[in-house]
Amino acid sequence: MQVSAFVDGELPENEAELLVRRLSQDAVLRQQVAEYLAIGRIMRGEYSARGSDVLRERIAAELEERPLQEDADAAVSETSSRYVRPLAGFAIAATVALVAIFGLRQTIGIDNEPLEVQTAAEDVTMETVPAMNDEELRPLYLLHGKDSPSFNARWTAAQIHAEELVEESADDAELPAEEATEAGEVEPVTSQP
Amino acid sequence: MHSNFDTRTAAACIALGGLFIGALVIAADDKTPSEWLERMDSAVQTTNYEGTVVRLQDGKVEAFEVVHTVSDGVVREKVIFKDGNGLEIIRNGNEVHCIFPDRKSVLVEEWNDQSTLFSTLPSGDLQFGSAYDVSIDSFERVAGRKAVVLAIRPHDNYRYGHRIWLDIKTGFPLQAQLIGDDSEPLQQVKFADIRIDADILTSSLASSYSTDGWKWFTEPRRDAKQEVESEWISDNIPAGFRVVSTHEEALSADTSNVTHMLYSDGLATVSVFIASGNDQKKAKRSSVGASNSYTTLIGDYRVTAVGEVPWATVEQIAGSMRLRR
Repeated sequence: MQVSAFVDGELPENEAELLVRRLSQDAVLRQQVAEYLAIGRIMRGEYSARGSDVLRERIAAELEERPLQEDADAAVSETSSRYVRPLAGFAIAATVALVAIFGLRQTIGIDNEPLEVQTAAEDVTMETVPAMNDEELRPLYLLHGKDSPSFNARWTAAQIHAEELVEESADDAELPAEEATEAGEVEPVTSQP
Repeated sequence: MHSNFDTRTAAACIALGGLFIGALVIAADDKTPSEWLERMDSAVQTTNYEGTVVRLQDGKVEAFEVVHTVSDGVVREKVIFKDGNGLEIIRNGNEVHCIFPDRKSVLVEEWNDQSTLFSTLPSGDLQFGSAYDVSIDSFERVAGRKAVVLAIRPHDNYRYGHRIWLDIKTGFPLQAQLIGDDSEPLQQVKFADIRIDADILTSSLASSYSTDGWKWFTEPRRDAKQEVESEWISDNIPAGFRVVSTHEEALSADTSNVTHMLYSDGLATVSVFIASGNDQKKAKRSSVGASNSYTTLIGDYRVTAVGEVPWATVEQIAGSMRLRR
């Protein structure tokens, strides 16, 4: 398979160019390649493949050479609030590259469709940072995860907990243990129960 | 002569193989989509399995290994994430250990339900016809096993669709996709390899790490939730959604309770949180994975809807909440 040869650095340059171009234009192929790369990595016991990173960078570069970046920026300015614009530069480039490779829709950004139910655009803050960085939203996502038997919700909750543990550890370094624990927050235990 | 025999033998094997696969397909055709979902429901609750799962979401590919057993109604499960921080989730009945090897930390939680990796999938209890249709889409092969593909299509843009690949032999789900309103997968979970009804050693369910000397955290036990009569209703709920529970919840010691209303259409769930205090903040959208949220201000209250549904749905539900008169 061409992708395998590319990842192994064995694909001639002219064929590599064609492969990257095809991948940047063919969503179905991108998804097949994403699965192929992931499964291949697992089977080989590898969890990051330098070659796939090269492929990702090449596709991103290919996309940046085409007007797609401008299209994406235009789409953002049409469908999103003004709060997104300062972030558009880097964030959208990364988003386009990832969408190009894996063929999956991003939850925020370039392909947001017009909403059927709109509120006043000036009132809506588009969060480009996940909710786990929002102290008000984090506990709500956690509670929803507990009541929703969804693996996605549970996984999200685990990641939010991971972030909380980082904060907790940092707090512990500065505060006595009894001050670091409050009802409703994770309780540090010094030894295994 | 010998060559002719081999050729005939091979041809016979191919024919028999074709007949066998054909028979499986005919057997699959004999079942209705609802019967397949019932079979899946039973398989998810009773099957022991281990394998490697690939998850695609938000342009990321994640891989994890899963070991799962059920014995006397007690679920034991280990999930090891092969990327990122190497998180391990180990469940023994209701007690769950989230092990973060990069932080040498363990978080102990209690889950009060029987939810497992695949319990997010629709069950046979779901009544189709109002919000969704279900049909047998095709027959494919996943992780080396023959599978029937069920397509669950929403009637409108207020919820996502699903495609589920079920093992023809057991009904166990081998692959699942959450489908967005552009017919593209938002999220996909797929077994790269699987052993079903395997003999699983107890040691396979133990942590890969020695956690001696690690820092342990305990998530405070969640108080038994009391159903409350809410003063809030939605005056413009998307068709098919209804309230399935209403509770008062404490977010932390220093904040007042929030009202938590859970809406469901039988497949998708949306939580609505209502907190007093209008602190003049703007309305806000956010997302994590396939979960979207929308916060808006209604009178003196802040209303947030969170769910694995499109933006339009969380916006409409949050914006439609009203105090009863």
